[in-house]
Amino acid sequence: MNTTTLLLIVHGLLAVALLGAITHQAVSVWVPARKPAGSFVGRFRAVPGTSYVNAIIVLYLLTFMLGGIIYPEYRVEARVVVEQMGLWKQTGAFELKEHFAAVGLGILPAYWHYWRQPLAGEHDRTRALLTATIAFIVWWNFLVGHILNNIRGFGS
Amino acid sequence: MTPPRSFAAFSIVFAVVYAIAYVIAVEQNYALFTYHPAISEFGAGVQQPKEGPAMYWYGWLATAGIAAFLAGVLAALLPESVTRRLWPGWTWVVALAVMVAFCYILRIYFLR
Repeated sequence: MNTTTLLLIVHGLLAVALLGAITHQAVSVWVPARKPAGSFVGRFRAVPGTSYVNAIIVLYLLTFMLGGIIYPEYRVEARVVVEQMGLWKQTGAFELKEHFAAVGLGILPAYWHYWRQPLAGEHDRTRALLTATIAFIVWWNFLVGHILNNIRGFGS
Repeated sequence: MTPPRSFAAFSIVFAVVYAIAYVIAVEQNYALFTYHPAISEFGAGVQQPKEGPAMYWYGWLATAGIAAFLAGVLAALLPESVTRRLWPGWTWVVALAVMVAFCYILRIYFLR
């Protein structure tokens, strides 16, 4: 296993953690539990969103940095193959991934600010929409990353 | 940690300017530097590919980051009577608009 493969696995694991955290927070903001939760879904919705903020920011930055470190390997080795295979939609989806990730980086200071305790009631909508934007970026990037990573099948 | 009041203005202006500067940097190729991955070499500004592809993405991030940071600091220095009028919703509105713009810019990949 070379260094890039190892970093790619760590990048993927961090992305899984980020995906879980941002999904928890987004669900707790958009469909909060109104009464004490008994079911799995109910407890999923009942988490306090504020407790995820710092973890989400740190995980986003770490995942972004690792992605940036292994990106040249993709650019030199993988992208050429994907283009030779004529997989233009997948190439375009990855292009969107890099730009969406960059846009997400720019809203992190505002995301942190509007999730700061004590939560200001007048910023509920801003908080919810910033969270939804980051959740969309994370989900898009996670899925596209997996599709590109597995595009030639395991072990090929 | 309690940030100063002016951090709200900084964060709004940073988010807006960063997203706009980034899409402009990509479209006009205003990369602060270029990375040549095949030879692991950085070069100042926009450079032609050398022995393999040239990567401008890091340079675009740097261009947008510096522009947004400077704009954010300037906004933070404005009086509170002015910055209070900044609508926080611009943070996600502009980010989403820029993401839609990228879908349009890259539509060629999906229409082949």
